[in-house]
Amino acid sequence: MTDRAAVIRDITERFSEDIQRLDDVSHKRVYIDIETGSLVKMALYLFEQVGARFNIASGVDCRSHIEILYHFTVEDINLMVSLRVRLDREKPVVDSLTPYMKAADWIEREMNELLGIEFTGHPDMRRLLLADFWPKGVYPLRADYEEWDDSAVRDRGV
Amino acid sequence: MGLKLKALLKSPWVFHLSTGSCNNCDIEVLDCLTPRFDIERFGMLLKGSIRHADVLLVTGSCNRMSAERLKTLYEQVPKPCLVVAIGECSLSRGMFIHSYNCPVPLDHIIPVDVYIPGCPPKPEAVIAGVVKLIEKVGGKKGD
Repeated sequence: MTDRAAVIRDITERFSEDIQRLDDVSHKRVYIDIETGSLVKMALYLFEQVGARFNIASGVDCRSHIEILYHFTVEDINLMVSLRVRLDREKPVVDSLTPYMKAADWIEREMNELLGIEFTGHPDMRRLLLADFWPKGVYPLRADYEEWDDSAVRDRGV
Repeated sequence: MGLKLKALLKSPWVFHLSTGSCNNCDIEVLDCLTPRFDIERFGMLLKGSIRHADVLLVTGSCNRMSAERLKTLYEQVPKPCLVVAIGECSLSRGMFIHSYNCPVPLDHIIPVDVYIPGCPPKPEAVIAGVVKLIEKVGGKKGD
């Protein structure tokens, strides 16, 4: 598949029930809002059938919900497909992509500790970035994060 | 001024430590060592090990993980040693002052002798700072 229109048409036909919305924003960028449950099969389709590369994922706390964008690059046609899932803010749970693509390992661990998203099926969910003494259940990239360290100095002393 | 300190000022060997900087200050420090500025003419030599160094050059805002490593390194420097904070980040954490991972500035963690501000400081500023450091320590001679 080397044609951009054919790739997008194929995705929309194959996953018509899973896709909530498709934003064709520019000639090299497509955003697809999908159901949370159909993430794995769509990601696997892009990865194995279309030949896309898993680029990176980005997690965002939007106050009303938490969303994750999974960016896939189809290098032959210079197209980036971003799958967007919306998660419940109280209990953000999504299926892990790590069993299928190794590149998702560290970014899922990072989203787990910075945003508190739970990835079901991740084989090795250890702490990656934060210090060992960082308190449990405090997620620094959440919009409602508050300072927990009393010894922190937040002025320049002038 | 002790004999150790006097010997140190003749040829201060420096160790360069980045505690999470954007690498811009590191490039300026390396610039000082290139033939254009050639800080080696003052006897300064960049060393690969902290145990061989007299001066600790610190760049970058200290985060929770690197603060522990910084303390360990400071314990390993042969004393007397001098600490130079290079760049806005190590002085006051710069734009990272409200970051969840940078709780305190460098001088709350280890004692600092010279502050070189700038984002990044020019090689001239680094050289001027080091000369001031030598003057400051060497000036105690008359006491």
